[in-house]
Amino acid sequence: MKINISRQNIYLLSLSIFLFLFVLLFSFLVLIPKGKEYREERNLLNKDRIELRRYQKFSDSTLDKLKQLQSENARIITAFDNSFNSDRFEKHHSSSFTSLNLSKKVALEDVDEFAVYEVNTTSSINSPQSFYEFLDAVNKGDWIIGINFPINFKRDSELITSSFTMKVYNSQKKSDK
Amino acid sequence: MKYSYTKVRKKNVFSSELQLLFSFFSITLFMLFLTYLFLVFKDYRFTQNTQEIVKKLAVLEEGINNMKAQITFIEKEVLLCERVNTKNTVLKDSIANLFDLVPQRITLSQASLLKNGLILYGITPNKDIYNFMLQAPLRSIFHKTYSSFYPAPNGWLKFVSTNYIDEDELTLESPAIKKQEEESDDEN
Repeated sequence: MKINISRQNIYLLSLSIFLFLFVLLFSFLVLIPKGKEYREERNLLNKDRIELRRYQKFSDSTLDKLKQLQSENARIITAFDNSFNSDRFEKHHSSSFTSLNLSKKVALEDVDEFAVYEVNTTSSINSPQSFYEFLDAVNKGDWIIGINFPINFKRDSELITSSFTMKVYNSQKKSDK
Repeated sequence: MKYSYTKVRKKNVFSSELQLLFSFFSITLFMLFLTYLFLVFKDYRFTQNTQEIVKKLAVLEEGINNMKAQITFIEKEVLLCERVNTKNTVLKDSIANLFDLVPQRITLSQASLLKNGLILYGITPNKDIYNFMLQAPLRSIFHKTYSSFYPAPNGWLKFVSTNYIDEDELTLESPAIKKQEEESDDEN
Protein backbone atom coordinates (compact mmCIF):
# COMPACT_ATOMS: atom_id res chain seq x y z
CA MET A 1 0.00 0.00 0.00
CA LYS A 2 1.40 3.29 -0.96
CA ILE A 3 0.88 6.31 1.29
CA ASN A 4 0.51 9.37 -0.75
CA ILE A 5 1.47 12.51 1.18
CA SER A 6 1.65 15.74 -0.61
CA ARG A 7 4.74 17.91 -0.43
CA GLN A 8 2.77 20.69 1.19
CA ASN A 9 1.69 18.40 3.99
CA ILE A 10 5.28 17.31 4.54
CA TYR A 11 6.31 20.97 4.90
CA LEU A 12 3.44 21.52 7.26
CA LEU A 13 4.34 18.53 9.35
CA SER A 14 8.01 19.51 9.49
CA LEU A 15 7.15 23.03 10.57
CA SER A 16 4.79 21.72 13.23
CA ILE A 17 7.43 19.36 14.60
CA PHE A 18 10.02 22.14 14.57
CA LEU A 19 7.79 24.60 16.40
CA PHE A 20 6.67 21.91 18.83
CA LEU A 21 10.28 21.06 19.58
CA PHE A 22 11.09 24.75 20.04
CA VAL A 23 8.21 25.12 22.51
CA LEU A 24 9.34 22.04 24.40
CA LEU A 25 13.00 23.07 24.51
CA PHE A 26 12.16 26.65 25.50
CA SER A 27 9.88 25.40 28.26
CA PHE A 28 12.25 22.85 29.71
CA LEU A 29 15.55 24.65 29.24
CA VAL A 30 14.56 28.24 29.93
CA LEU A 31 11.11 28.70 31.42
CA ILE A 32 11.08 25.95 34.05
CA PRO A 33 14.59 26.80 35.46
CA LYS A 34 13.58 30.47 35.52
CA GLY A 35 10.35 29.52 37.32
CA LYS A 36 12.36 27.56 39.88
CA GLU A 37 14.69 30.52 40.33
CA TYR A 38 11.66 32.79 40.77
CA ARG A 39 10.24 30.52 43.47
CA GLU A 40 13.57 30.36 45.30
CA GLU A 41 13.98 34.13 45.11
CA ARG A 42 10.43 34.58 46.41
CA ASN A 43 11.11 32.29 49.37
CA LEU A 44 14.37 34.07 50.05
CA LEU A 45 12.63 37.45 49.94
CA ASN A 46 9.95 36.20 52.33
CA LYS A 47 12.65 35.01 54.71
CA ASP A 48 14.37 38.39 54.46
CA ARG A 49 11.05 40.14 55.13
CA ILE A 50 10.50 38.00 58.23
CA GLU A 51 14.05 38.81 59.35
CA LEU A 52 13.43 42.51 58.75
CA ARG A 53 10.19 42.39 60.77
CA ARG A 54 12.08 40.60 63.57
CA TYR A 55 14.80 43.26 63.51
CA GLN A 56 12.20 46.05 63.49
CA LYS A 57 10.41 44.47 66.45
CA PHE A 58 13.70 44.10 68.34
CA SER A 59 14.70 47.66 67.44
CA ASP A 60 11.33 48.94 68.72
CA SER A 61 11.65 47.00 71.98
CA THR A 62 15.26 48.24 72.44
CA LEU A 63 14.11 51.80 71.78
CA ASP A 64 11.30 51.39 74.35
CA LYS A 65 13.81 50.09 76.88
CA LEU A 66 16.17 53.00 76.15
CA LYS A 67 13.35 55.57 76.46
CA GLN A 68 12.20 53.98 79.71
CA LEU A 69 15.75 54.03 81.12
CA GLN A 70 16.21 57.63 80.00
CA SER A 71 12.92 58.76 81.58
CA GLU A 72 13.53 56.80 84.81
CA ASN A 73 17.08 58.12 85.22
CA ALA A 74 16.73 61.56 83.67
CA ARG A 75 18.22 63.28 86.74
CA ILE A 76 21.26 61.01 86.82
CA ILE A 77 21.90 61.38 83.07
CA THR A 78 21.61 65.18 83.26
CA ALA A 79 23.81 65.23 86.37
CA PHE A 80 26.54 63.29 84.55
CA ASP A 81 26.26 65.57 81.51
CA ASN A 82 26.44 68.78 83.57
CA SER A 83 29.82 70.40 83.71
CA PHE A 84 30.79 71.29 87.28
CA ASN A 85 30.34 74.96 88.07
CA SER A 86 31.79 76.19 91.37
CA ASP A 87 29.61 79.32 91.53
CA ARG A 88 26.43 77.35 90.95
CA PHE A 89 27.49 74.75 93.51
CA GLU A 90 28.16 77.44 96.13
CA LYS A 91 24.81 79.05 95.33
CA HIS A 92 22.96 75.70 95.64
CA HIS A 93 24.55 74.65 98.93
CA SER A 94 25.15 78.02 100.59
CA SER A 95 22.11 77.42 102.83
CA SER A 96 23.88 74.48 104.53
CA PHE A 97 27.04 76.49 105.31
CA THR A 98 27.94 79.76 106.95
CA SER A 99 30.77 80.06 104.45
CA LEU A 100 31.82 77.82 101.59
CA ASN A 101 34.98 78.01 99.51
CA LEU A 102 35.93 75.71 96.65
CA SER A 103 39.33 75.24 95.09
CA LYS A 104 39.83 74.96 91.35
CA LYS A 105 38.90 71.53 90.04
CA VAL A 106 41.76 69.18 89.28
CA ALA A 107 41.40 66.39 86.73
CA LEU A 108 42.06 62.89 88.07
CA GLU A 109 42.39 59.56 86.29
CA ASP A 110 39.23 58.48 84.46
CA VAL A 111 37.00 55.84 86.04
CA ASP A 112 35.54 53.64 83.28
CA GLU A 113 34.34 56.13 80.69
CA PHE A 114 33.84 58.93 83.21
CA ALA A 115 36.05 61.93 83.74
CA VAL A 116 36.77 62.55 87.43
CA TYR A 117 37.64 65.90 88.96
CA GLU A 118 38.71 66.67 92.50
CA VAL A 119 37.62 69.81 94.28
CA ASN A 120 38.93 70.78 97.72
CA THR A 121 36.38 72.42 99.94
CA THR A 122 36.65 74.50 103.09
CA SER A 123 33.53 75.56 104.88
CA SER A 124 32.06 76.71 108.15
CA ILE A 125 28.96 75.15 109.65
CA ASN A 126 26.83 75.90 112.69
CA SER A 127 26.24 72.27 113.65
CA PRO A 128 26.89 68.77 112.30
CA GLN A 129 23.22 68.73 111.25
CA SER A 130 24.07 71.26 108.52
CA PHE A 131 26.69 68.85 107.20
CA TYR A 132 24.17 65.98 107.14
CA GLU A 133 21.76 68.19 105.22
CA PHE A 134 24.56 69.03 102.78
CA LEU A 135 25.30 65.32 102.22
CA ASP A 136 21.61 64.64 101.56
CA ALA A 137 21.45 67.60 99.18
CA VAL A 138 24.57 66.44 97.31
CA ASN A 139 22.87 63.12 96.53
CA LYS A 140 19.95 64.98 94.93
CA GLY A 141 22.04 67.72 93.34
CA ASP A 142 22.87 68.73 89.78
CA TRP A 143 26.15 66.80 89.70
CA ILE A 144 27.37 63.37 90.72
CA ILE A 145 29.59 64.15 93.68
CA GLY A 146 31.24 61.81 96.14
CA ILE A 147 32.59 63.22 99.41
CA ASN A 148 35.98 61.77 100.18
CA PHE A 149 38.22 61.19 103.14
CA PRO A 150 40.01 62.84 104.85
CA ILE A 151 37.36 65.06 106.41
CA ASN A 152 38.49 67.51 109.04
CA PHE A 153 36.27 69.28 111.54
CA LYS A 154 37.77 71.99 113.72
CA ARG A 155 36.01 73.99 116.39
CA ASP A 156 36.30 77.71 115.75
CA SER A 157 34.44 79.51 118.61
CA GLU A 158 30.75 78.99 117.79
CA LEU A 159 31.33 77.53 114.34
CA ILE A 160 32.83 74.30 113.02
CA THR A 161 35.35 74.66 110.23
CA SER A 162 35.28 71.68 107.92
CA SER A 163 37.55 70.74 105.06
CA PHE A 164 37.08 67.83 102.71
CA THR A 165 37.60 66.78 99.10
CA MET A 166 34.86 66.07 96.61
CA LYS A 167 35.09 63.87 93.54
CA VAL A 168 32.95 65.09 90.66
CA TYR A 169 32.05 62.46 88.04
CA ASN A 170 31.30 63.58 84.52
CA SER A 171 30.33 61.64 81.41
CA GLN A 172 31.92 64.15 79.05
CA LYS A 173 35.47 63.58 77.97
CA LYS A 174 38.11 66.04 79.13
CA SER A 175 38.85 67.03 75.55
CA ASP A 176 35.23 68.13 75.10
CA LYS A 177 35.53 70.70 77.85
CA MET B 1 -15.41 29.39 -23.82
CA LYS B 2 -15.77 27.24 -20.78
CA TYR B 3 -14.49 23.69 -20.72
CA SER B 4 -15.42 22.89 -17.10
CA TYR B 5 -18.23 23.62 -14.74
CA THR B 6 -16.01 23.88 -11.67
CA LYS B 7 -14.45 27.17 -10.82
CA VAL B 8 -10.72 27.71 -10.65
CA ARG B 9 -9.41 27.34 -7.16
CA LYS B 10 -6.96 30.05 -6.29
CA LYS B 11 -3.79 28.65 -4.81
CA ASN B 12 -2.35 30.55 -1.85
CA VAL B 13 1.10 30.14 -0.22
CA PHE B 14 -0.56 30.43 3.23
CA SER B 15 -3.04 27.69 3.16
CA SER B 16 -5.76 27.49 5.79
CA GLU B 17 -3.86 24.68 7.58
CA LEU B 18 -0.74 26.76 7.68
CA GLN B 19 -2.65 29.74 8.98
CA LEU B 20 -4.16 27.58 11.71
CA LEU B 21 -0.73 26.24 12.58
CA PHE B 22 0.80 29.72 12.73
CA SER B 23 -1.99 31.14 14.84
CA PHE B 24 -1.75 28.22 17.29
CA PHE B 25 2.03 28.45 17.66
CA SER B 26 2.13 32.23 17.69
CA ILE B 27 -0.36 32.29 20.61
CA THR B 28 1.61 29.56 22.38
CA LEU B 29 4.95 31.32 21.87
CA PHE B 30 3.46 34.69 22.84
CA MET B 31 2.23 33.21 26.12
CA LEU B 32 5.57 31.52 26.76
CA PHE B 33 7.55 34.71 26.14
CA LEU B 34 5.11 36.71 28.21
CA THR B 35 5.60 34.27 31.12
CA TYR B 36 9.34 34.47 30.66
CA LEU B 37 9.28 38.27 30.67
CA PHE B 38 7.09 38.21 33.79
CA LEU B 39 9.62 35.95 35.53
CA VAL B 40 12.57 38.13 34.47
CA PHE B 41 10.78 41.26 35.70
CA LYS B 42 9.86 39.63 39.00
CA ASP B 43 13.40 38.40 39.42
CA TYR B 44 14.66 41.95 38.93
CA ARG B 45 12.13 43.29 41.45
CA PHE B 46 13.09 40.60 43.98
CA THR B 47 16.75 41.52 43.63
CA GLN B 48 15.89 45.18 44.17
CA ASN B 49 13.71 44.38 47.22
CA THR B 50 16.41 42.13 48.68
CA GLN B 51 18.95 44.93 48.31
CA GLU B 52 16.56 47.37 50.01
CA ILE B 53 15.97 44.90 52.84
CA VAL B 54 19.72 44.36 53.27
CA LYS B 55 20.21 48.15 53.49
CA LYS B 56 17.35 48.48 55.99
CA LEU B 57 18.78 45.62 58.05
CA ALA B 58 22.19 47.29 58.13
CA VAL B 59 20.61 50.60 59.26
CA LEU B 60 18.52 48.80 61.90
CA GLU B 61 21.51 46.83 63.15
CA GLU B 62 23.56 50.01 63.48
CA GLY B 63 20.66 51.66 65.33
CA ILE B 64 20.26 48.66 67.65
CA ASN B 65 24.01 48.58 68.41
CA ASN B 66 23.93 52.32 69.08
CA MET B 67 20.94 51.96 71.40
CA LYS B 68 22.54 49.00 73.18
CA ALA B 69 25.69 51.07 73.76
CA GLN B 70 23.54 53.89 75.16
CA ILE B 71 21.68 51.46 77.44
CA THR B 72 24.97 50.03 78.73
CA PHE B 73 26.31 53.53 79.34
CA ILE B 74 23.16 54.62 81.22
CA GLU B 75 23.30 51.44 83.31
CA LYS B 76 26.94 52.25 84.14
CA GLU B 77 25.93 55.81 85.07
CA VAL B 78 23.13 54.55 87.32
CA LEU B 79 25.45 52.03 88.98
CA LEU B 80 28.16 54.62 89.62
CA CYS B 81 25.60 57.13 90.90
CA GLU B 82 24.15 54.54 93.28
CA ARG B 83 27.63 53.66 94.51
CA VAL B 84 28.52 57.34 95.10
CA ASN B 85 25.19 58.02 96.82
CA THR B 86 25.59 54.97 99.07
CA LYS B 87 29.11 56.11 99.95
CA ASN B 88 27.81 59.58 100.87
CA THR B 89 25.01 58.09 102.98
CA VAL B 90 27.44 55.77 104.78
CA LEU B 91 29.71 58.74 105.38
CA LYS B 92 26.82 60.74 106.83
CA ASP B 93 25.95 57.85 109.18
CA SER B 94 29.61 57.49 110.20
CA ILE B 95 29.89 61.18 111.08
CA ALA B 96 26.57 61.04 112.96
CA ASN B 97 27.79 57.99 114.88
CA LEU B 98 31.05 59.76 115.70
CA PHE B 99 29.35 62.80 117.16
CA ASP B 100 26.88 60.57 119.06
CA LEU B 101 29.82 58.66 120.48
CA VAL B 102 31.33 61.70 122.19
CA PRO B 103 29.83 62.16 125.69
CA GLN B 104 28.58 65.57 126.79
CA ARG B 105 31.33 65.99 129.41
CA ILE B 106 34.06 65.72 126.77
CA THR B 107 34.47 68.57 124.31
CA LEU B 108 36.04 67.97 120.92
CA SER B 109 38.18 70.69 119.39
CA GLN B 110 39.12 68.87 116.24
CA ALA B 111 38.23 65.63 114.46
CA SER B 112 39.89 64.11 111.40
CA LEU B 113 38.11 61.27 109.67
CA LEU B 114 40.57 59.22 107.64
CA LYS B 115 39.96 56.34 105.29
CA ASN B 116 41.10 53.80 107.87
CA GLY B 117 41.12 55.83 111.06
CA LEU B 118 40.00 58.68 113.22
CA ILE B 119 41.99 61.35 115.04
CA LEU B 120 40.26 63.27 117.79
CA TYR B 121 41.51 66.33 119.64
CA GLY B 122 39.60 67.52 122.69
CA ILE B 123 39.42 68.33 126.33
CA THR B 124 38.27 66.07 129.15
CA PRO B 125 37.76 66.76 132.89
CA ASN B 126 39.91 63.76 133.79
CA LYS B 127 41.40 60.57 132.41
CA ASP B 128 38.75 58.29 133.88
CA ILE B 129 35.90 59.98 132.07
CA TYR B 130 37.88 59.79 128.86
CA ASN B 131 38.81 56.12 129.39
CA PHE B 132 35.32 54.94 130.30
CA MET B 133 33.16 57.16 128.16
CA LEU B 134 35.17 57.65 124.99
CA GLN B 135 38.10 55.29 124.78
CA ALA B 136 36.04 52.17 125.58
CA PRO B 137 33.64 52.59 122.66
CA LEU B 138 36.54 53.65 120.39
CA ARG B 139 38.42 50.47 121.30
CA SER B 140 35.40 48.39 120.33
CA ILE B 141 35.38 49.97 116.88
CA PHE B 142 39.08 50.40 116.06
CA HIS B 143 41.88 47.87 116.22
CA LYS B 144 44.60 50.28 117.33
CA THR B 145 43.91 53.14 119.71
CA TYR B 146 46.56 55.50 121.03
CA SER B 147 45.87 58.33 123.45
CA SER B 148 48.06 61.08 124.75
CA PHE B 149 47.21 63.70 127.36
CA TYR B 150 48.63 67.05 128.32
CA PRO B 151 47.31 69.50 130.90
CA ALA B 152 45.04 72.39 129.92
CA PRO B 153 45.30 75.81 131.63
CA ASN B 154 41.94 75.31 133.45
CA GLY B 155 43.10 72.07 135.13
CA TRP B 156 41.37 69.76 132.65
CA LEU B 157 43.25 67.49 130.29
CA LYS B 158 43.72 68.00 126.61
CA PHE B 159 43.86 64.74 124.69
CA VAL B 160 44.77 63.41 121.26
CA SER B 161 43.16 60.10 120.38
CA THR B 162 44.50 58.30 117.32
CA ASN B 163 42.51 55.29 116.18
CA TYR B 164 43.16 52.99 113.27
CA ILE B 165 41.42 50.04 111.71
CA ASP B 166 43.88 47.33 110.83
CA GLU B 167 43.04 46.52 107.24
CA ASP B 168 44.63 43.04 107.45
CA GLU B 169 42.45 42.12 110.41
CA LEU B 170 39.44 43.59 108.67
CA THR B 171 40.15 41.21 105.79
CA LEU B 172 40.27 38.26 108.19
CA GLU B 173 37.05 39.32 109.87
CA SER B 174 35.08 39.85 106.72
CA PRO B 175 36.80 38.20 103.76
CA ALA B 176 33.58 38.19 101.75
CA ILE B 177 33.19 41.95 102.02
CA LYS B 178 36.84 42.53 101.12
CA LYS B 179 36.51 40.17 98.16
CA GLN B 180 33.45 42.10 96.95
CA GLU B 181 35.36 45.38 97.26
CA GLU B 182 38.29 43.96 95.30
CA GLU B 183 35.95 42.72 92.59
CA SER B 184 34.34 46.14 92.31
CA ASP B 185 37.80 47.72 92.13
CA ASP B 186 38.76 45.31 89.36
CA GLU B 187 35.62 46.22 87.45
CA ASN B 188 36.63 49.88 87.68
